[in-house]
Amino acid sequence: MLEPHWILLIMLGVFVVCAMLLKVPTGLSLIAASMVGALAGGEGLPLRHLVEGAFTYIDPILIIASAMVFMASLEQSGALGSISRGLLVHLHSRPALLVVGLTVFIMFPGMITGQSTATVLTTGAIAAPVLSACGIPRPKVAAIIAMSAIYGMIAPPISLPTMIMGSGVDMPFTGFDIPLLIATMPLAIGVNLGLARRYLKNIDMEAVLGDLDENHATRHGWRLYLPIVLVALLLIGIRLVPFLAANLGIALVFLIGAAVGTRTGRRFNLFSAARRSIRQALPVMGILVGVGTFIQVMTLVGIRGMLVVTALGLPSLWKYAGVAVMMPLFGAVSAYGSASVLGVPFLLSFLGQDEIVVGSALSLFAGLGDLMPPTALAGMFAAQIVGEPNYFRVLKHTAVPAVITALWAIGMIILANPLAKIIPG
Amino acid sequence: MSIDRHRPLSIGISLLITAVLVVLSARSFQVQHRDEVLYPSDGLTRAFPLSEVNPHLAGTAGDTEVYVYEGSAPGGSVLVLGGTHPSEIAGYMAPVLMIETLHVEAGRVFIIPRANASAATHNEPQEAHPQHIVIETAGGSRSFRFGARFTNPVHQWPDPEVYVQPISGTTLAGVEIRNLNRAFPGIADGNLTERVAWAITELIRRESIDVSFDIHESSPEYPVINAIVASEVSQEIASFATISLQLDGWEFSLEPSPPNFHGLSHREWTDHTDTQPILLETANPAMGRLRGPTNAELAVLGQDDQYVKAAAIGAINVPFDEEGISIERRIARDLVAIGAIVEAFNMLNPERAILMGGWPEPAALMEDGLGRYLAPARDGTSPR
Repeated sequence: MLEPHWILLIMLGVFVVCAMLLKVPTGLSLIAASMVGALAGGEGLPLRHLVEGAFTYIDPILIIASAMVFMASLEQSGALGSISRGLLVHLHSRPALLVVGLTVFIMFPGMITGQSTATVLTTGAIAAPVLSACGIPRPKVAAIIAMSAIYGMIAPPISLPTMIMGSGVDMPFTGFDIPLLIATMPLAIGVNLGLARRYLKNIDMEAVLGDLDENHATRHGWRLYLPIVLVALLLIGIRLVPFLAANLGIALVFLIGAAVGTRTGRRFNLFSAARRSIRQALPVMGILVGVGTFIQVMTLVGIRGMLVVTALGLPSLWKYAGVAVMMPLFGAVSAYGSASVLGVPFLLSFLGQDEIVVGSALSLFAGLGDLMPPTALAGMFAAQIVGEPNYFRVLKHTAVPAVITALWAIGMIILANPLAKIIPG
Repeated sequence: MSIDRHRPLSIGISLLITAVLVVLSARSFQVQHRDEVLYPSDGLTRAFPLSEVNPHLAGTAGDTEVYVYEGSAPGGSVLVLGGTHPSEIAGYMAPVLMIETLHVEAGRVFIIPRANASAATHNEPQEAHPQHIVIETAGGSRSFRFGARFTNPVHQWPDPEVYVQPISGTTLAGVEIRNLNRAFPGIADGNLTERVAWAITELIRRESIDVSFDIHESSPEYPVINAIVASEVSQEIASFATISLQLDGWEFSLEPSPPNFHGLSHREWTDHTDTQPILLETANPAMGRLRGPTNAELAVLGQDDQYVKAAAIGAINVPFDEEGISIERRIARDLVAIGAIVEAFNMLNPERAILMGGWPEPAALMEDGLGRYLAPARDGTSPR
């Protein structure tokens, strides 16, 4: 059997040939690379492993699909345009405040669900036209949304990457609120103001309102917003009263919201809207299936362990560089996978430094994975909602914020103990 | 035009390929739903389903067998729980070996080898774990399932994004709602995992179990390893036992049960029953994130080149060399720890002494191999 690093090279080679040269869809290219990797690893064609891996991300896939249907419903009913219009009318005179307010607004679903994709597709989609109306170019709007969604996923009260790392070392999720706020809020506000700084001038309302959808609330009243209120109540309800509220699952909540949307505003055919949005999301869902098989085979043939041992074996100073590079890279597969596979051993390797602050900082690295191709979930969906066909143009604008985020996280790890002393708690 | 004409054909071919893949892989997955046959020793006095304790488990994938061994003389009682996490294979095989070799002279021993029976029916995606390990016995090979840490989502789904532990309100990642060792003391009519947890806690209460063991394994990089975890009520017997084991040359650390980390067996049994809880933890490289190729040999032989490298750079918490940590050694650690703790209990409670034995000596087990002491396979009953 070949050594793991050779198998990894073969798998990457097959992926590149399939995806770049033969133009095979990314998801299928990943599956092809997995099959060849298993063969090279002496495992034959392990159908069970390929299928098991393919189902890894079934929950995120369902959430992405249902969130897309929900957003299509809001768009078709007129709710989306009306909210954008309302936000702009009320906050156009103070653009800086508008950007800060929108940042927190975009982050909110991520803060309560721990999901970046759902965040991009919900509040991100609402904020996009408003930010565009400020004169911010589409790729930068998408960058602001993607970064906000990632910070929202990490921010308290619910930070799934942090929780996953905590589970790996039997650490309950308590005492993380302030460290996670330190990890995310200054970055979110600073980065977004930085991205939007050139465009923070008074907005020509006459010009931009003409580009937006009409205000359907004047015709349908408060009912127009009922799907959003319902979805928010159902999502928050399970957090506030977990023993009383039924756990419907995020996917079903979005579908309920989408169905309600058919009766609260402009009438539309939900089935047609759902078909269109699922078709849009299909490539990303395919990538998630492919990525699941890819990691399963990486684990099967020993590549995962080789990568982790290599990272842990880096000299002390290089370890910071290693964590800053490897966790986001692995996060390309999945931020949660990165938190589990690399976050847990890195957290253990930093023993001696306050584990709550270190765990919060490591979550930032895991979150950055949502900007890494080929999946780049946050970047790809943000590009989609602003109508930018090439998501690499979005990633170009997230590069500097990503570096700043990594440096911030390294700073938090280095200063973990002093920070822990001044954090009340 | 030509695209439209060929579309039904491509859809048909895609569906056909999918159907073939589904049928072939489904057969493989279904094998894991079949319980392997165990051959209890002559000392077994009775066995009953856990649903006798909690009727809400009847007919569910969480129902599981309780094996009872009663001595002719009165004495205290012990519960041995295996398979709380079925991916921690020695934590399952140690109770299996007890079931097939145990004799009790005084007192009562309750053994639940598959505490989370649902979790034994699947593997965790991304872990690439084997579905079975195979042990050669005098009568041929016997295979035992290598399950998952969590209840099968086929039996309990969807997970919430966040699991709020019912007793403490502690928040954990949503998947932990399917972790039996976060669900104690359980809820009689709660979700499947909570029902199992409640049944076990209730069994301890109902049978007034004196000492309760929960056997686990963990990755070599995990800080609490080769350990005996005891709460404030079991510290005394655990301390005596740890000293005795260390004098005999066994490296064990004694770890306290965290008072504020709820849902764990040792914490909740302390708070909700009168038993003295003990959790045992051995090091299994098949559990860790640093491991090389993942297969049944790794789980059994415990040999792994990546962990040898990791030990060299100080990234793990147990000694690890080319010899590895075999399943025999891990089971031997569990059995000597159980023996030492029961001995400590007997010393402190002579009027309730539990006299039991029958399982192989550690040196013999490690020398001869597990298959030498398991009952031989009979009539091809071992599922594969």
